[in-house]
Amino acid sequence: MKLVFYSGGLEKENSSLDRAFVELMGKKNPVVTFIPSSSYLSEQEFKNFVKHYSKFKISRFIHFPVDVPFDKILFQEVMRSDAIHLGGGNTFYFLNSLRKAKLLPQLRTFAKKGGVLTGLSAGAIMMTENIEMAGYPEFDRDENTVNISNLSSLNLVDYLFFPHFKNSARYDIVFKKYSKLHSKIIYACPDGAGIVVNGDELRFIGKCYAFAEGHKFSIN
Amino acid sequence: MNQVKKSPIDEVGKRSYSTFARINGEHPFKTQVPGGRVEYKARYKKGGKVAFFNFELAKEMGLIAKTHPNKLNPELEREILETFSLVIINEYDVINKVKIPEEDIHPHTYMATRYLQLQHPDKTGKTSGDGRSIWNGSIRSGGVTWDISSCGTGATKLSPACNINKKFYQTGDPTISYGCGLSEVGEGLETLFFSEVLGKNGFKTERVLAIIEFEKGLGINVRANPNLMRPSHFFGHLKQGNISSLKQIADYYIQRQIENKQWPQTTFKNDKEKYYYLARQVAKTFAETSAKFEDDYIFCWLDWDGDNILMDGGIIDYGSIRQFGLFHAEYRYDDVQRYSTTILEQRQKARYIVQCFVQIADFLTTGKKKSISQFRTHETLKFFDKFFIECKDRNLTQKIGFRKDQQEILLKNHRSLVTKFRNTYTYFERAQSKRGVYKVADGINRDAIFCMRDILREFPQIYLTRQAPLTPVEFTEIIKSSYAKKKDLKLTELRKKQISRFQHLYMELVGAVEKETHTSMNHVLLELTMRSSVINKYDRVTGDSITYIVQKVQKLRPKLSAEELFELAREFSSYQNLNPDQKKVTIDIPHRYKNIMQNLYSIVRDCREGL
Repeated sequence: MKLVFYSGGLEKENSSLDRAFVELMGKKNPVVTFIPSSSYLSEQEFKNFVKHYSKFKISRFIHFPVDVPFDKILFQEVMRSDAIHLGGGNTFYFLNSLRKAKLLPQLRTFAKKGGVLTGLSAGAIMMTENIEMAGYPEFDRDENTVNISNLSSLNLVDYLFFPHFKNSARYDIVFKKYSKLHSKIIYACPDGAGIVVNGDELRFIGKCYAFAEGHKFSIN
Repeated sequence: MNQVKKSPIDEVGKRSYSTFARINGEHPFKTQVPGGRVEYKARYKKGGKVAFFNFELAKEMGLIAKTHPNKLNPELEREILETFSLVIINEYDVINKVKIPEEDIHPHTYMATRYLQLQHPDKTGKTSGDGRSIWNGSIRSGGVTWDISSCGTGATKLSPACNINKKFYQTGDPTISYGCGLSEVGEGLETLFFSEVLGKNGFKTERVLAIIEFEKGLGINVRANPNLMRPSHFFGHLKQGNISSLKQIADYYIQRQIENKQWPQTTFKNDKEKYYYLARQVAKTFAETSAKFEDDYIFCWLDWDGDNILMDGGIIDYGSIRQFGLFHAEYRYDDVQRYSTTILEQRQKARYIVQCFVQIADFLTTGKKKSISQFRTHETLKFFDKFFIECKDRNLTQKIGFRKDQQEILLKNHRSLVTKFRNTYTYFERAQSKRGVYKVADGINRDAIFCMRDILREFPQIYLTRQAPLTPVEFTEIIKSSYAKKKDLKLTELRKKQISRFQHLYMELVGAVEKETHTSMNHVLLELTMRSSVINKYDRVTGDSITYIVQKVQKLRPKLSAEELFELAREFSSYQNLNPDQKKVTIDIPHRYKNIMQNLYSIVRDCREGL
């Protein structure tokens, strides 16, 4: 599988992750689909997305909101694209929309068949087993505005991902505690950092941290 | 607040909201067009509460400082109520000697204006006009003079009921609905949500400044616009052959347009030039407006009396306004005695309004009122016809997503290509269901079967992706609306030909822009993809959605403050702003509103193809 986990942050901070993403596609003039977490004002996000990735000589993009009905013709093009990017936003709302549109298995198949799947913040959390991380820590979490209880998501990797991590004691306390109670490793990335998965290879970009069995580890 | 009180004085001895004091019933129209109005004394109406105040508009009008927080304070609320919470002392009150405490009576009179209305038996405008509205006054700010009027301020003698039943009604008389002179908060909310959305999308419109709420859902709805004159204000005097009043109203209107810098030409050699310039301006405005109505599926019920529209093409009285999701070309509103015009007939009605203004120009110039039929082929009408088509072509290039400079290139150098594409586009846009005409809740309709917004949104990105056209089956799959049945979607030879023509001509337009702007096809398509995704957004408001939204908001209203309602309306209109050049600013709204907004979005989504 080819996956890129973006935490967030400014364009400049993510240049290494962007380069890794383009390399993963390994193709001239690829087609990239942008799936926003919500259609609300997503046109502006799409515009920013296009502006950003046009710098990498990508010129073919699809805007594909999933919380409004879509037709199968455009959907087929999405599934044929070289990469799909899952945008940031409210993770609960995003998961609910993906599930309602029956897109979770389709995206899983897309990734398993070699399509490049990338996610930013909520989109990155979506690629893990469940979106529990969106509800942590209590002082910095997404609101479960759609009141969903089934938090299972794409389950493409065997770790959890926490974006916008701030290297501070109060975050450490929460994640050490969480990792004591759960078996999965949490990779916590500050803005500008992230993870690139290429088959069996796992590459950390920027200063990342891991929480496992109640301990914190620094990566890079 | 139970009585009129003097507003508090601040430390330097001036009222903090002193501009409100200038809205006191006085208006230049009263003296400049004495035959154009009826004057009423008014009294303070007790028991009112400010349900909504448009802080943004109030700042534009200079009523509050630009830096004023979007929050009511007791002093501002008092000013709003003192200024707008009023009811006229009408003929019924005078005849029946209704006792009104002297301190409740406002010092100035308020006018109800006379205009032609086809529902009056007289049909010459002698008895018709503002039936439940008065004009609060006018104020000037930032080089613009604004008219302010309020609906629900009591029964005037200009209402249809008063003239049909030949009696004066007491304000609030329960035996009569429209003629009772009252208005409901719901009407104000409908105008508020609709006008703010349409205003953001380039339509000229009246706007809601405030809604004052009373018991039983009643309200006073305060509206503002830089010029609240309607064609029907002219037509009454025209019908009656009253040249002096007609001249007064024309001069009054022209003066305001010049004052507000709405006209490029401000001086005239003589009256002839002035009045024909007026007719030309009306032709330009109404060609533009009726083309935009047709292309944005706005049903405004334009008719020969020119009552439902402002002189500048602005929308007024949202009671019969609708925005269709599709081109439902045969929808007619059932107004009990008759059916309304259809969306396609609006052009002819607009043309007739222009013809009346040519007749007015001739009348004012020669002093003789000639038959309107004599002006059917006047050059101003020829200009109207030509400009209407030009506007249609421009509107379509804009809808496709071309930038302004690209639109200019296409209209200047490739006009016939644009027209050819428009013809094919129209073929799909006007395709109707085989079900035929049937009854809907408030009239009759025949369903449109294709959603043009969907194909304009998806075509550029699919072509960009696969670099090849769609098959007829794919094209149909994208463009079909929820109204289309299997038999409507049959791929006949003609339809296949039109599908191929649509795509071919679309790409020719892209090619023309590509060549003239020295860019690549992919670049043009990508830009169209981005712009079209805003212009042809999946969920666009319709008349039905506004009705349901207002119902929803009314249910929430007991818990919504005036400020919260303002924020909701602002957020909603921002979400429905389909201008791709407008940078969207996300308003940070509290969590509670987010859920409300989600509800409103889903209403818009569900009703997106309706009436």
